[in-house]
Amino acid sequence: MRTKSFFEAWNTFFFAEESPIPLGLFRIIYGVMVIATLTLLRPDWMAWYGPHAWVSLPSMQAVEPGTRLNVFAFISQSDFWVHALFWFSLASAACLSIGLLTRLNCLIVFLCLTSIDQRNLFILHGGDTFLRVAGFFLIFAPAGAALSVDRLIRIWRGKDGAEIRPRRPWAQRMIQFELALLYFAGFCSKVEGVPWVQGTALSYMLNLDELQRFPVPSWFLHPAVLKLVTWFAMALEFCLGVLIWVKEFRYYLLAIGLVFHLCLEYSLNIPMFQWDVLSAYVLFIDAADLERAWNWIRSRSQRFWAFGTRTNGKAH
Amino acid sequence: MTRAAEEGKGLRQKKVFGLKKWQYVAINAFLVFHILAISCWCLPISNPFILACRSAVRPYFVWSGLFQSWDMFSPVPKTMNAYIEAIILYKDGSTTTWSFPRMETLSLSDKYFEERYRKFVESILADSNSAIWPDVARHVARLPELRARDPQKVLLVVKWSDIVHNDDGTFTRAPWDEHVFYRYDVKPEDLQ
Repeated sequence: MRTKSFFEAWNTFFFAEESPIPLGLFRIIYGVMVIATLTLLRPDWMAWYGPHAWVSLPSMQAVEPGTRLNVFAFISQSDFWVHALFWFSLASAACLSIGLLTRLNCLIVFLCLTSIDQRNLFILHGGDTFLRVAGFFLIFAPAGAALSVDRLIRIWRGKDGAEIRPRRPWAQRMIQFELALLYFAGFCSKVEGVPWVQGTALSYMLNLDELQRFPVPSWFLHPAVLKLVTWFAMALEFCLGVLIWVKEFRYYLLAIGLVFHLCLEYSLNIPMFQWDVLSAYVLFIDAADLERAWNWIRSRSQRFWAFGTRTNGKAH
Repeated sequence: MTRAAEEGKGLRQKKVFGLKKWQYVAINAFLVFHILAISCWCLPISNPFILACRSAVRPYFVWSGLFQSWDMFSPVPKTMNAYIEAIILYKDGSTTTWSFPRMETLSLSDKYFEERYRKFVESILADSNSAIWPDVARHVARLPELRARDPQKVLLVVKWSDIVHNDDGTFTRAPWDEHVFYRYDVKPEDLQ
């Protein structure tokens, strides 16, 4: 009986059809994150990936051996081809974001991101890793089923109706799984570290000059507060890794997680990581709630524009 | 039972959640494999079975780009401030010092663009990455502002200051220390 209910739960979780709207929204944000990442790298494309980069391709292959999916190993090592690869990646990420030839562009963006990461593994942060692994599972997802140019084309050709058809969410679940695992693995690793258990880890981090962005309030720097916040961070990582799957807790945890990442973005200099991780939060929001939020924004903006038009009319 | 109902039943038996049976089985195999493999790869468990699984999936993970690590500032965050400078000796006997971009000296926007250097310096300082030190020194020698003066030698210097945890719970910084960790003789072909 238990085995049967496990398989039923498994099937419902991975295969019961759901609205692809959260996935469509994630695809849009994901594309923007990839564009932002590549744009921030733009001044140093040649320094990190060019023929005379900080680490040459043969050195990279010697330090990190193994057969790797890496387009750089196949293209000519010249400025032109490296530039071409980056511009191609940017164009593909833009197409992915708007949902044009979605599946193909998912594949291209993943290939390009993986190649860029593999070409220089010494400069990667967690955000790059998350984009790469999420990109892998996005290839298998119906990412163009909603909020995409592909859907508009299908409607225009009469192959799709006005109603968005629900889809099997198994690939979306894998991206959600990756996000939950990111937190849970972080928690497990922290539990093994003495500074985290003793509550001093955050104090060390805030004393690292290279990480500091904006000043934090002085009351926050009190040892007792830092200790509590260190433990809170660990507890939150556990909850976001495990309890996020419990529907009753989900939105509260997402809200706390959002505030937590915004605080990290304010205080620590780790560009893009917080935004890359936050991008996947939309996958945990119900499509009905997203639609409600969208309708609320639309009605507000319509009221705002109507008010603006009336005021302008009076002024004339 | 009508013929249509029989056909419908037959179709249901062949399809699971709208998938052909082989598709359903293939997707499930994909899911089970990836959930187990990614968990084994990421979770800090040193059980011999997990280690064996990790080495078994390693070629696939390395190839596909699914390798991942989520040990953000853990188990032990960095306990010292450190940066790298390069001392360049020229043919005419003069020297200059070149510093990697230091986040604490950059503007907010520059921090966004140059943050990769923070991570790169961290990687250079790991002894396991000593194989890239010649590349780093060579790249410094090739920098346009230095190359024109015919550099002969590049010394890579790490400067560090420990963050000390005091008994009263406060933290102080130890005095700066420095160490030349790599010397490189620039070859003529390096500058071409």
